[in-house]
Amino acid sequence: MKRESWVLIAVMLLGVPLSLAAQGKPLTVTGVRGVTFGAVLPGVPRVVLRTDPANSGQFDIRGPKGGPVLLSFVLPLRMTGPAGALMPIVFGASDAGFSSTQSIGSQVGFDPRQPTTVIFPSNGNVSVFVGATANPGTNQRAGAYTGTIILTVTYL
Amino acid sequence: MRALGLAFSLSLLAFSLSAQGVMVAPHAVFIDHTQRSGSVLLYNPGTAPVEVTISTIFGYPTTDSTGGIKLDTLPRDSATSALAWIQAFPRRLTVGPRERQTVRLLARPPIGLADGEYWLRLIIAAQAGRVPITGLGDTTAIQVGLTLEVRTIIGVNYRKGPVTTGVSLSNVRAQVVGDSVITRAKLERRGNAAFVGMIRETLVDSTGRVHELQVGDSLVRSYASPVGVYYTMEPRLASAIARPALARGRYWLRYEVVAEREDLDPKVVLKAPAVRDSVPIIVP
Repeated sequence: MKRESWVLIAVMLLGVPLSLAAQGKPLTVTGVRGVTFGAVLPGVPRVVLRTDPANSGQFDIRGPKGGPVLLSFVLPLRMTGPAGALMPIVFGASDAGFSSTQSIGSQVGFDPRQPTTVIFPSNGNVSVFVGATANPGTNQRAGAYTGTIILTVTYL
Repeated sequence: MRALGLAFSLSLLAFSLSAQGVMVAPHAVFIDHTQRSGSVLLYNPGTAPVEVTISTIFGYPTTDSTGGIKLDTLPRDSATSALAWIQAFPRRLTVGPRERQTVRLLARPPIGLADGEYWLRLIIAAQAGRVPITGLGDTTAIQVGLTLEVRTIIGVNYRKGPVTTGVSLSNVRAQVVGDSVITRAKLERRGNAAFVGMIRETLVDSTGRVHELQVGDSLVRSYASPVGVYYTMEPRLASAIARPALARGRYWLRYEVVAEREDLDPKVVLKAPAVRDSVPIIVP
């Protein structure tokens, strides 16, 4: 089959414009799932492990085989709740994990507070998982608390 | 049969693209002085519009004191910065579901710009990459969650006139720590353009027999790590030693830096001579 036919198949199936494919290999960063602590009790820390399949955060990254990227996080120190109430949050030295198979059960832990270099495997797909610890105070105000994790993927 | 297999694989890929995110192509931009322009395509594979903000910074990869790679965005060495004269537009755009948009890069280099390579980095911040958390509707309890945002940074290299590159290698160190080989080496760029290539490490015993290394689930004769040397760097590399563990004795770590990259178009990878060194490793 001619090369053009393969490209046409890809375009039809993916809906990816032909000119996009012609530009070179793309890089895609996707936020899949936020970190969910759910309901917490005043004064009781709540830990979400990066291996928690339901509550850990997940990013998927797709890039060219053998390509190097630098992963760096902007992590919140606290979460904001009702009427400006705050709740501390802590990220430990092993609260992030990288999986070259995109399996949550097969991770290499790393410190999300430090930049980490990753090389895309043969299929170009990797996943990054994140956990954290929320520390509600004993008199923490009721309501919803949120914060934002920013993942920056730098192609090296 | 191969076509069916490919079609099946691509259909799986299409399914996975339904999550939020933005696709950026290419992952590295090279602009020639004779063209003075470039473009980056953004594609939204999701079902919701993506708010994209484009910005530029000057920076290049370097290493910290522990050998970790970092993006140095300090303004020194600004002679190689193209930040002041390469502009990206639009700066803000919305990419609809299954739509694409083009970001144009226009260079207005100063008169008398010397031959060589000039750099900047393009930051693509996608707001649709923000993934909401669920279950925060109950205000009588304490509900907690963290949302996600994503940013992508790609390099833009502007080349004027004859550009050359190369790398020198010195101070190679290697040791076995646990089940890994840890190396450091000093790499200094030559010429007037960044060295883009690969570090290859091979572990051999005293008879010259190669001891395999492990990358993921695969066994390899050489561990390869892509590298971009913009000025000087001293990367720390760790490669896993395949089982069985090394017996006591003397080994050699062959360290090689070559101008090859499988993730880049060979046309943009500047040719340069390979550099090599070997250092002994003693396993007590």
